[in-house]
Amino acid sequence: MKSDLRNSRMPSVFRVKTRQADHGDIRRPVFLVRNICAERKSRAFFDLGFGMLGLGSIEMTCCSVKRPIILLLLILAGSVLVACDRQEAELPAVAEKRVVKDDLGRAVRLPETVTRAVSLAPSITEMVFAAGAGDRLVGVTSYCDYPAAAKNIQKVGDTQSPNIEAIIAVRPQLILVSTASQLEAFATALEGQSAAVFVVDISKLDDVPDRLRRLGQIFGTGERADLAAIEIEQRIAAVERRPRPERPPRVLLQISEADLFTIGRDSFITELVERAGGASVTAEIPGGYPKLNKETALALDPEVIILSDSSDNRNPNDAMKNSSAVRSGRVYRVNADILSRPGPRLADALEQLATLFRQEPAGN
Amino acid sequence: MKRANYIFLLLIAGLAAAVAVAVSVGSESVSVFAPDEQGRAILFDIRIPRVLLGACVGASLALAGASLQALLRNPLAEPYLLGVSNGAALGTLIAFVLLGDVAGARPVLAFAGAGIATFAVYQMARSKAGMNVERLVLAGVIITTFLSSIIVLLTSLLDAARLRGYTFWLLGDLSQATYNGFYMTLAAAVAGTIVLTSQARALNLMMIGERDAFDHGVEIGRVRMIIFGMASVLVGTSVAASGSVGYVGLIVPHIVRLVVGSDNRLVVPMSAFAGAIFVVLADTVARTAIAPRELPVGAITALIGAPLFIFLLRRS
Amino acid sequence: MLEARNISVRYGPCDVLREVSLSLSEGRMVALLGPNGAGKTTLLKALNGTLPAAEGSVVLDGRPLAELSRREAARRVAVVAQENETKFPVTVVDFVLSGRFAHGGAFGWERAEDVAVAERALAECDLEKYGSRLMNQLSGGERQRVVLARALATEAKILLLDEPTANLDLAHQAMIFRLVRGRCDAEGFAAVVITHDLNLAAEFADELILLHRGGLFAAGTAEEVLSEANIAEVFGVRSLRDANPATGKVRITPIF
Repeated sequence: MKSDLRNSRMPSVFRVKTRQADHGDIRRPVFLVRNICAERKSRAFFDLGFGMLGLGSIEMTCCSVKRPIILLLLILAGSVLVACDRQEAELPAVAEKRVVKDDLGRAVRLPETVTRAVSLAPSITEMVFAAGAGDRLVGVTSYCDYPAAAKNIQKVGDTQSPNIEAIIAVRPQLILVSTASQLEAFATALEGQSAAVFVVDISKLDDVPDRLRRLGQIFGTGERADLAAIEIEQRIAAVERRPRPERPPRVLLQISEADLFTIGRDSFITELVERAGGASVTAEIPGGYPKLNKETALALDPEVIILSDSSDNRNPNDAMKNSSAVRSGRVYRVNADILSRPGPRLADALEQLATLFRQEPAGN
Repeated sequence: MKRANYIFLLLIAGLAAAVAVAVSVGSESVSVFAPDEQGRAILFDIRIPRVLLGACVGASLALAGASLQALLRNPLAEPYLLGVSNGAALGTLIAFVLLGDVAGARPVLAFAGAGIATFAVYQMARSKAGMNVERLVLAGVIITTFLSSIIVLLTSLLDAARLRGYTFWLLGDLSQATYNGFYMTLAAAVAGTIVLTSQARALNLMMIGERDAFDHGVEIGRVRMIIFGMASVLVGTSVAASGSVGYVGLIVPHIVRLVVGSDNRLVVPMSAFAGAIFVVLADTVARTAIAPRELPVGAITALIGAPLFIFLLRRS
Repeated sequence: MLEARNISVRYGPCDVLREVSLSLSEGRMVALLGPNGAGKTTLLKALNGTLPAAEGSVVLDGRPLAELSRREAARRVAVVAQENETKFPVTVVDFVLSGRFAHGGAFGWERAEDVAVAERALAECDLEKYGSRLMNQLSGGERQRVVLARALATEAKILLLDEPTANLDLAHQAMIFRLVRGRCDAEGFAAVVITHDLNLAAEFADELILLHRGGLFAAGTAEEVLSEANIAEVFGVRSLRDANPATGKVRITPIF
């Protein structure tokens, strides 16, 4: 139900809209971020009275764009006041910075110890927990429901429309985003602020243990992260040691029933299916999650149909009613969350798929 | 009248040709004359119902557009402008969310939504001094944006997974074509052609002016109710079957008028055929352009329609 | 044929027309005179039912107008309204044929008879060569003649004309009045004509009705209605009255 897949790379109208909204909404909040960070150096310059003046002026920003410099100053003052009141007690020590490369190859400056992080994708939340740093998360998306402890963390919007003000309010040092969430624009907008933006892009199965170790380094939980990574590597290896069918079954992974969305060349699930011993019939189709023409779906005649389980995906599409898979009863539902979140539970998905691919047709 | 007959023949032949082309191409190549078992399944279960549905949806939307334009004396009027499409879309969304897969819920609520939207626009546009066109169009814009905001609100509040299909469908998409959808839209399109053509002569007068129409014996209120009611049925069934395919109701009657003039006795039925041809061809592009993936047909109609419309607008 | 009995018409709270009566019988041509805003057009609209009478009634051939269907009324009463425009390209012949609506069936393709009537109407209005022209390409005067031709094409015996000569040159002004007069004399038509040309009214009309501020000010022959005193009171213009040497009819000359 609440998976990255559905909310991120899906070619839906939502996505386009969200992107635009991001650009549009970002300006004002960004000022606030800048101000909060500037505040540390210049706090002494502002007294309470000036701060209140500033608060009063915040409303004006909505109506007037003239005299931006004056307004900027006033907002600055206002935000300083807010920031002073709330932040005094537990400001993270302005520690020595270190530089880490993220998955877009950006050099990200991080404090030596990261104690406050925000995750903007359910898969990343799962990764951070698996890396033993779940207690550092101070903000997650409303889709982050696994592990159970994630549910109690402050929500800062959803993957497509994170609430930037809410993110700033939890004062993160680090914001983890996934490229899958189309958050590059957001990442750029927060670039150079007090909070570092780090992109975690998991595009294949082997990225999972690798990124676990990387998160371990970032959070200083290297040991636990390494254990988790090793466990996953062993599980992957175990699956690959299992006896395989002579010929990989031809698999169609259906994401939604009526609108026949499926997995394409660029989806990590395509690789997952292959590693599990199947051959995705849509492996050559360009894109991550293409909407497949029903004629082609029929002609592809899959031997196994995997349904990413959700309320709009209970049965195979009509076009497949005479396919080998349906005739032989090889239609299976797999929990959409483990399948579609590029996180530690991909190992579960891999094991399940491998088992399903080896199952004999029910009829025989 | 001779020329009109030729054009009718040409349109019928054109529709037959468009359907033939559409049936013979697709993301899979299938021999139309000697299909194997799989080929038959592709042709009869998937391609043909989709082509036929496209034809009926095109006819319905063009009919609704042509008659509303004459009624409102505005060549730019469209089901969208009046909020009729959005009413139908909201009705379908409600059916989708509340009733799930209950058979027949979509078209009924789509019709109800279209009808309510039309009625609301009509009520808003009415005043003691009668109905004036500017007021009606303004009311349509208000209703359209109001309904859009409800749609956006509902789609943001509701479970994203269930609405994923809905958003694709909102753009106008024929991929979920079934024979039942085809029968439903066919019935609406045939009824629409007959009913609206029967009012075409009254529409000719309405198009010149409501006072003119009244003076010459047109029961304005009755004609208006017939046109609004029929347009609601046409838009409701089309939207329920294929979402909101845009520009058809605007472009098609416009082109027909360029060829045959403004006589609605020709414009209305010819728009039905021309609309069918337009959507069948547009959907053929939608199905094949990036095969085996596909595009929503609404994107294609807008892609062809918008520049063409600007061209026509500048020329006239 | 057509009779208005003490009708009042209101827009909201104000009376636009107060207790006006008018009787139109076969062969009669009535001129409706009065300054702008006197209620002339309102009276005309009330006579064909466009505006309902708040009080009083309009009776057409012995039956209250309100009881007749629009189609029945349109077959008997034709209106030539002031300017109308359409954004759609309509040809002159299609426009005139639209006047045959009340005679047509449901799907309404014109019969040969309809076309013949339309062609005659076009010819009478000096428009034979205009058939295939588009309405929005015509001059104001030409368009006005087309509108008259359409009214004639309805074959209604009662014509209600709202300033039919407003945009016309001298020749066509006279042509239209002669045409209407001729129909009244020879074919039993009856007409109500709104005009600002007092002399044309005096020349052609059997009866003149002078409206002032929504009420009936004077009615009768040209000699009775067009007195210098009446004109001074209603129009606020001094004038000189004599007789047209050519026809002997009343002639009014304003004094500037």
